[in-house]
Amino acid sequence: MLASFRWLQELCPVDADVAEVARRISLAGLEVEAMERKGHDLSGVVIAEIRAKKPHPKRDDLTLVRVFDGENEHDVVCGASNVPDPGGRVLFARSGAVLPGGMQIAPRKVGGVESSGMICSEEELGIGADGEGIFVLDEDHRALPGTNAADALDLRDVILDISLTPNRPDCLGHVGIAREIGVLFGMPYSPRKAAGPRRAFLPEGAFRPGQPTTRLAPLWDSESDMVDSPKLPAISVEIVDGDRCPRYGAALVSGVEVGPSPFWLRYRLHNLGLRALSNVVDATNLILLEWGHPIHGFDLDRLRGSKVVVRLADEGEKTATLDGIERTFTSDDLLICDGEGPVAVAGVMGGLFSEIRDDTKHVLIECAYFDPRSIRRTSRRLGLHTDSSHRFERGVDPEAIPQVLASAASLIAELGGGAVAADAIDCVARAHRPASIRLRPERAARLLGTPVSKEESMRILESLGCRIVEHDGETIEAQTPSWRPDLTREVDLIEEVARVRGYDQIPTAMPRAHVSEAGTPGLLKLVDELRDAAVACGLYEAINYGFLSVEDLRRARVGADAVMLANPLSEERAVMRTSLLPGLTGAASRAQRHGATEVRLFEIARTFQPTGDVLPHEQTVLAINLAGHRPGWIGAEQAFDLYDGKGVIEAIIDRVFGRKPELVSGDLPSFMHPKRSGVVTLASEGVGFVGEIHPEVSDDLELIGRVIYAELDVPALHALSEKLGPPQARDLPKFPAVTRDIAMLVRDAFTAGEIADALQAASNGLAESVRLFDLYRGDQIPEGHRSLAFRVTYRDTSGTLTDKQVDKVHGSLAKVARDRFEATIR
Amino acid sequence: MAEPDAVRTFEDGLAQIRATFEQALRAAEDEPQLRLINARYVGPQGELTALLKLMPKLPGNRRRELGQAANALKQGIQQAFDETLDRIHRSARDAELTGPHLDLTLPGRWQMPGRLHPITRIRNDVLDIFVSMGFDVADGPEVELYENCFDKLGFPPDHPATDEHDTFFVDGDRPSDAPTVLLRTQTSTIQIREMMKRKPPLAIVSPGAVYRRDDDATHSPMFFQLEGFLVDQDVSFAELKGVLTLFLRRLFDEHVALRFRASYFPFVEPGGEVDMSCVFCRAWEQDRARTAACRVCKGTGWMEILGCGMIHPVVFENVGYDPEKYTGFAFGMGLDRIAMLKYGIPNIKLLYENDVRFLSQF
Ligand SMILES: [Zn+2]
Repeated sequence: MLASFRWLQELCPVDADVAEVARRISLAGLEVEAMERKGHDLSGVVIAEIRAKKPHPKRDDLTLVRVFDGENEHDVVCGASNVPDPGGRVLFARSGAVLPGGMQIAPRKVGGVESSGMICSEEELGIGADGEGIFVLDEDHRALPGTNAADALDLRDVILDISLTPNRPDCLGHVGIAREIGVLFGMPYSPRKAAGPRRAFLPEGAFRPGQPTTRLAPLWDSESDMVDSPKLPAISVEIVDGDRCPRYGAALVSGVEVGPSPFWLRYRLHNLGLRALSNVVDATNLILLEWGHPIHGFDLDRLRGSKVVVRLADEGEKTATLDGIERTFTSDDLLICDGEGPVAVAGVMGGLFSEIRDDTKHVLIECAYFDPRSIRRTSRRLGLHTDSSHRFERGVDPEAIPQVLASAASLIAELGGGAVAADAIDCVARAHRPASIRLRPERAARLLGTPVSKEESMRILESLGCRIVEHDGETIEAQTPSWRPDLTREVDLIEEVARVRGYDQIPTAMPRAHVSEAGTPGLLKLVDELRDAAVACGLYEAINYGFLSVEDLRRARVGADAVMLANPLSEERAVMRTSLLPGLTGAASRAQRHGATEVRLFEIARTFQPTGDVLPHEQTVLAINLAGHRPGWIGAEQAFDLYDGKGVIEAIIDRVFGRKPELVSGDLPSFMHPKRSGVVTLASEGVGFVGEIHPEVSDDLELIGRVIYAELDVPALHALSEKLGPPQARDLPKFPAVTRDIAMLVRDAFTAGEIADALQAASNGLAESVRLFDLYRGDQIPEGHRSLAFRVTYRDTSGTLTDKQVDKVHGSLAKVARDRFEATIR
Repeated sequence: MAEPDAVRTFEDGLAQIRATFEQALRAAEDEPQLRLINARYVGPQGELTALLKLMPKLPGNRRRELGQAANALKQGIQQAFDETLDRIHRSARDAELTGPHLDLTLPGRWQMPGRLHPITRIRNDVLDIFVSMGFDVADGPEVELYENCFDKLGFPPDHPATDEHDTFFVDGDRPSDAPTVLLRTQTSTIQIREMMKRKPPLAIVSPGAVYRRDDDATHSPMFFQLEGFLVDQDVSFAELKGVLTLFLRRLFDEHVALRFRASYFPFVEPGGEVDMSCVFCRAWEQDRARTAACRVCKGTGWMEILGCGMIHPVVFENVGYDPEKYTGFAFGMGLDRIAMLKYGIPNIKLLYENDVRFLSQF
C-alpha cells in the first residue's frame, strides 16, 4: 500500500515529521518498507512564460521557443507539438538543473541551433505519466514566471510504502491509516464529511418504487442547490444472494462530462502508482485510495433495463471483463448483472460492456460489501488479482457504504459537472452485527507479563473505535468497529492494547526454569553423529532440493514410483526424490566439469516413497559419493575404488557404534556395479551398500571415471544401535602376544576373508587376529592367482606361549591353507 | 687334553685384541661401521669369539685366570662400544640440532578436510543455544497434510494469509480442487504434531526444510526454517522477549538490541516481528556514518531477523489444550538467512548448488 504523507496529514494533522510517523506505525504493525520524497529534487525547474515561437530552420519536428524564466529570456529548441502561444506558461529546467532521472541540463546544439535549458513534460519531471507533450499550466493558474515548480504546483510529498498484513483491510485506504496515526499519537481522529456537490436533485422517479434508500445530504458538509430530477428510467437493485452480497449501495450522478482530470488529481494518483484515465474513473480510484473501498462506475445508459441484479453465475456463463478477456464462470462466482446479463465480476473487475466511456452522461456508482471468501475464490479461479479484489477479500467496512457513496458522487460531480441524486439506493440483505467481546485486563496483564489497567484498556479500545457496552470490576465488554473485521476474540483486544502501547513497553523476563523431559530423539542425535563422522572422514556435506525431474529418476535407475507435485515450478523439479543418488552425483558431475580432481560428498536427507496412505514414507538416508583421486601425500595419484568407499563406511560406523561392519555380496540396487559393490551389514543385518556405480548409469549421469557411491539406512542403524547397546569393556591381555606371518599363492576364487576366517578357526582359539597385510599379483604369479600374506597374532589368555606351541599351531594353519584352499605356502 | 700352544695362542690373541680394539672401535664414524668393527671382535666370527672357543683346550690351572682375562677384555670392548655408540648418537643429534632445517612447506599428512554445510553449522549453533535453555528438538514430515500446515494453525479458509505461502501441492491425492497434501511451507506444522502428541509443559525447537513456490534472486523454492515454542501455565510475552533477546545475543553479539514490532501470523496473537541491531555496521556503537553507509541494513541500523508471538488460543483449541489454562509463545526464523548474514554469503542459490569450491569455505 502506497500512502501520501501529505494526504495523511490533511486527514489527521499530527505534529510529527514523516520519519517519526513512519517509525510509530511500523512498530504498531504497519511496516513502512520505504519512503520516497516527491517534488523535492526540482530545484532548477521553474515556471516560464512563452515569449515567442517559430519553426526550426532545418527540422519540421522542432520549434524554436523564447521563454522568460522570471529573470532572463532563453532560446530553447523544443521537440513537443503542443508548445502554447506566447503568454502560455510551461515548466522550464534551467541550465545546470538535474532532473529526477539524473539528466543534467546544459546548453547544447539541437539541429544546429543553440538551446539553453529545456521545456519539460510530466514524465521528464517524474510528476506524471504523460511523456507525449510538454506540461502546460492551466490558464487560470496564478504562478508567476520564475516560481519554483514544486511550489507553484504544490508537488512536495513523501510517499510511504507500507507492507500491510492481511488482517488490516482498514488500512488499505488513507482514512484508515490516518485513523491509526491518530490512535498512536493520541489524537482522536474523526472522519471529515465530504464536501457537498454544487447541485443535487431529489430522485423522485429515478429509483423504482420500494427501493430502500439512504439520505446523502447529512453526510455532506455544505448545502447543494436543488435542481430538477433528470428524466431517466427508474433504477432498481436486487440482491439475489444475500450471503454473498450482504449490502449493496448505488448513487447516481446525472449529466456528467467525461474528460481529463485536473493536475492535482493526476499527480496524486501518479504518486500512488495509478494511471490517470478520465475524471470519472480517476475519481473512483481516488475514493478507493481514500476509503479503501472499491467502487465501480456504470454507464447508466448501457445498463439494460436500468437494473442491477447481484447473483451467482450459471455454470459456464461467460462475459468479457474490462481487460478485454472473455471469462467463463462457475456457479460459485458472484456476478453483477443488468436486465439482460453480466456486467461485472462482483468485487473483482468490471465488464467491457457497461464501462465508463467518453460519451457517458449518467453514472451509477456501486459501493457494496461482498463476502470476502467468495471474492477470493473467484479472483483466484480467474487468476485476476485487482485493487478491488485485494480489498474485498480482506473485508471492507460495510457501514461506510453511505459515506463512501456521498464522497464519490460529490467528487464525480465536482470534476465532471452534473448533479447528484440526494438519496442513494442502499439494499441491506444481511445487517452488519458488531462483534461483542469481553476483555479481562487481568488476563491481558498475565499474557503480556506487565500490568494492564482497566482504564488504560478502555481508553485504547475507545480510541480504536470500539464502543464500551459495559464494564465492571474485572471485565470490559466492547463492540468492535465495523472496519476491524480482524477483532473477534479477547486475545485480539489484548493485542490491540499491547500494540497501541508499543511492544517496547513490555518488560523482558525469563521463563521459569524448564527441564526437558523427552530430550532429543535418538534418531536425530544419530543423524548428527553420522554427519560429524562423515565430516571426520574428509567428506563435504551437500544439501540438494527435495524435488527433481522424472528424467533424473529414470537416468539414475532409481524408483520411478514417486510423489508427484500438482503445481511444480518446472519439469526439472516435479517429483519428490526417491533416492539421494541423482542429487549427489549431479553435484559430483558438475564438480568434475569444473575440473575438480577429487570429489568427496555426503548428504543426509529424506527420500519419499509413496505408500497406500495419504502421506508418503519419509526415509532418512546417508549417501556418500567419491569421485576422482584419493587424497594422498606427495606422489602418484590413485583413483578411488570400492575399498575407499568401504573404508569410509567402516570409519563412520566404527566411530558411531564402536563396531566394524562387514561387506558381503547380496541384493544391490540396479544402479550399482554388480561385481564391484557389496551390501553393508552390521551385526549380520543389512544397513546399506557401497561400491562403484554401474558403468552404464555412470555414463548416463555424465560422470567421469569410476565413481563410488554408498548409502546407509539411518532408521535401520538407529534400530540396531538400540538393540546392540553401548560398547562393553573387556579385560586387557595379561600375557604377551607372538606374531607370525604366512604367505601363500592361491587362486582368485578364494576370498581373503574366507581364508582368514579359516586360519583363525584352525588356531584352536590361539589366533587373536588374522590380518591381511600384503596382496600381490604380477610377474612371478600365475594367471588367475594372487599372493596373499597374513599376519597372525597368537595369544594365550592363560599363559605365555612358547615358540614350540606357536610353531605347532602355525604349522596347522599352513596345512589348512594347503588342504582347503589349494594354496602354495611361500 | 691341555695344549701348551693353546695357552700361547690364547694369550697372544688377547694381547693382540687388547692392543687394537680401543682404537678400532673409537675410530668408527657411524653406527653401522661401529657394529661391523664390533663384530670383528665379538661377533659369531669375531676374533674374541674364536679365542673363547679355545677355552676347553686350555690347561685347567690356567683356564680360570685366562677366562677372567678374556671376560675383562670383552667388557672392555663392550664399554668402548657403548661409549662410541653414545658418542655417535650424540654427534648425530648435535648435527640434527644445529644442521639444516626440514622443509616446512611440504604438505602435511593425515589430511581429512571435510566440512559441514553452512546451514548445518548455523542450525547446530542455534540448537545448542536452545537445547542449553531446556528446549527439546523435534522433527516432522516434509510432505504434510493441508490441515496441519494451515487449518489447525488458525489460517481461516479462503484467506489471504495463505498468500505468503505459495504452496506446492501433491498431485493425485484427491480429484476435488481442494488439495489435502502439500509440501510444508513452514516448520510450524511441528507445533501441531507435537502438541497433539504431548501435554504441557512443552519447550520444543524444530529445524527443517520447507518449500514455497518462489524462485528468484532472493528466494529458493526449498529453504530451512527453525521453529520454537514453549507452552505452560502463565507464559507471557515478557518471557518471549527474554528468550529471544538471550538467544540473539548469544548467537550474534552480546551487545545487540532488539526491537519488537507488531505483525500478523494467524497462529500467534499478539504477533510480532523482531528487528535486531545491524551486526554488520555494529549499529549499537552508534557510528552514524558507518551505519548510514551500511548496505546490509540500508542505513537503518536494524535488520529483520524473526517472527514471533503468543500462541493463538485457536491453535490450543485445535490440538485439545485448554486456552484458559495454558499460554505459550512461538517463534520462527529462516536458517538460510541467518547463515547468509553470519557467513557473508551473497546469494541464496549458492546454498543449494553444492559447489565444492563453495562448500570447502566453511
Ligand atoms: Zn548496518
